Amino acid sequence: MNRTDTLPPEIELAQLLQRCAAADTAAFRKLYDKTSPILFARLLRMLRRRSVAEEVLQDVYVRIWQRASQFEAHRGRALAWMVTIARYCAIDLMRRERMTLVSDDAIGEIADESAADSGGIEKPNNFDFCIEQLNDNTRRCLTLAFVEGRSHDEIAQLTTNPLGSVKSWIRRGLLALKQCLSSERQTT
Amino acid sequence: MKSANRELVDRLAAEYVLGTLRGRARRRFERWLLSPQVGALVKAWEQRLEGLEPRLDPVTPPATVWRGVEKKLELRKLQRQPAMRWLAVAASLVFFAVIGVFITRPPAQPQLTQQSSLQADPQTIYWRVEILGDNQELNLHVNVVHDLPPGKSHELWALPEGGGAPVSLGLMPHTGEGHRVLNASQRAALAISKQIAVSLEPEGGSPTGAPTGPVLLVAPLAPA
Repeated sequence: MNRTDTLPPEIELAQLLQRCAAADTAAFRKLYDKTSPILFARLLRMLRRRSVAEEVLQDVYVRIWQRASQFEAHRGRALAWMVTIARYCAIDLMRRERMTLVSDDAIGEIADESAADSGGIEKPNNFDFCIEQLNDNTRRCLTLAFVEGRSHDEIAQLTTNPLGSVKSWIRRGLLALKQCLSSERQTT
Repeated sequence: MKSANRELVDRLAAEYVLGTLRGRARRRFERWLLSPQVGALVKAWEQRLEGLEPRLDPVTPPATVWRGVEKKLELRKLQRQPAMRWLAVAASLVFFAVIGVFITRPPAQPQLTQQSSLQADPQTIYWRVEILGDNQELNLHVNVVHDLPPGKSHELWALPEGGGAPVSLGLMPHTGEGHRVLNASQRAALAISKQIAVSLEPEGGSPTGAPTGPVLLVAPLAPA
């Protein structure tokens, strides 16, 4: 199944967010119905515990409501904007609780292993090309950090690599990605 | 921003967005997010790294989540009032349309006496603050909107001369405009203040009555 087909259209989400900014509670409910399954899946992937993900999801929608007026509709990246809020909320929680990430049994099943595959969110031009230029270690570190919310220490443990190597792969990987994306953008 | 600084801040922005900037370093970095330059670097990284978003099967959350959101935001109260809200908006539009024909300023509004621009530089004025009458009322205008770190608010303070404790003048609006009538202690503090300041506080304002977060902007009050 092509899951991007089932995603709500960006323009509709942007309009709903604008109505939320005008305190329209019906629009907020609609926005919640359309997007909460996406954000919940994303939080489960990072937090790995259902009860925790449910709690954070509440905070995510509280923030979406409170910050709806800050969404820049002309950019038309409503889902990406909401996913970013969800990611930061999850990272904040992990930072506060210094959570040890123990997975619920059921949660492994929802995760799709295809890394670097933006689910319905538009990728930057040539992202696939640029991510392929990185070596396997670097790509894995970036994915573990971004997709699963893992810290440097956790990545070092999971990949059985020295912490110093993990840190420098990430640092260099980010720089290489930025350079590749900007040079590709200029030539295309 | 100097180029060496810019590189360092860009590196921190990248790790902030990636999620590997943690602990105190993350909290410190969040304070910088108010700067438009830092905000732009973070946005650029958010867009770059969106390519890493995984494709996941949606999972419908239990109904308790929505009920929690409703409760936290007191949405039911809002729902009961939409008719009243629109009536009030319509009534005030009619009021100002009618009044506007005859007079330029509603008679109840005291005169503008002092004003201040809270700015990072002459090109970046975040808020304009107007003081009306004998320190009776405030008008707040948002000029440049910027991101607030999650769970934070901007709070306005009067800074009394002679080093007295800052007195809160309430929260700053995010967008648009705000207006408020000051109480006696706020009026007294403003009467002996030549400067005002904005600090970053927990959502809803300082829990202690004194600034707890970093002071972001300080500006002099000038006669209008």
